[in-house]
Amino acid sequence: MGAESRGVVRIVQEKIDAGAVLKSVEDPSAGGIALFVGATRNQSHGRSVVALEYEAYEPMAVAVLRSIVDEARRRFGIVHMSIVHRTGRVAIGEASVVIAASAAHRNEAFGACRFAIDTLKTSAPIWKKEFFADGSAWVDPGAGGSAA
Amino acid sequence: MNVTVRMFAALREAAGADRLEVELAQGATFAHLLERLAEQYPRLAPWKPHVRIAANCEYVGLDAPVRPGDEIALIPPVSGG
Repeated sequence: MGAESRGVVRIVQEKIDAGAVLKSVEDPSAGGIALFVGATRNQSHGRSVVALEYEAYEPMAVAVLRSIVDEARRRFGIVHMSIVHRTGRVAIGEASVVIAASAAHRNEAFGACRFAIDTLKTSAPIWKKEFFADGSAWVDPGAGGSAA
Repeated sequence: MNVTVRMFAALREAAGADRLEVELAQGATFAHLLERLAEQYPRLAPWKPHVRIAANCEYVGLDAPVRPGDEIALIPPVSGG
């Protein structure tokens, strides 16, 4: 029917190589590849952020990310999807998550990529802590929320 | 049965530990587990409405029974990505 699924799902503790994640989903049958990079911003609710730290309940995070890939496959008929999330300290401007999806056509690639990041944000057991000049706080998505 | 509950992120900081022990009756549900935790560790009580529970790396409903040997984790509001 199609290529064997070859995507990677990983939690890593060092800089994510977005190029490698992109390469991991390339396929002769895929005419469209969508790449999403979630990068750390220097502002949060009007405060200046100097660093971020991510924590994950790793075995469950991997299981949830894998189930997101499976669901993306069911909904969008993608060829491959890779999701790599970083934990530990992440400097401003660096990638905390990279998602790549390949499909025969661009609609499915874009759709799957969007679905994956949206679902990860509400269901993966991963938490972000923001460090400001004068303190730190775990992000509370309920309080003011974050823009899509 | 004696169960260990793993804590993460803000919940771990509130609890002051990354795992807590709770004694539960056989047949107790995860709802009972939450009640017990809130009684035994009052600093966790405000979190009760905001946590999800995972058993063996899957989210479970509060009505599900706790089984001996379950790996249980309290999942505070997530913020990955």
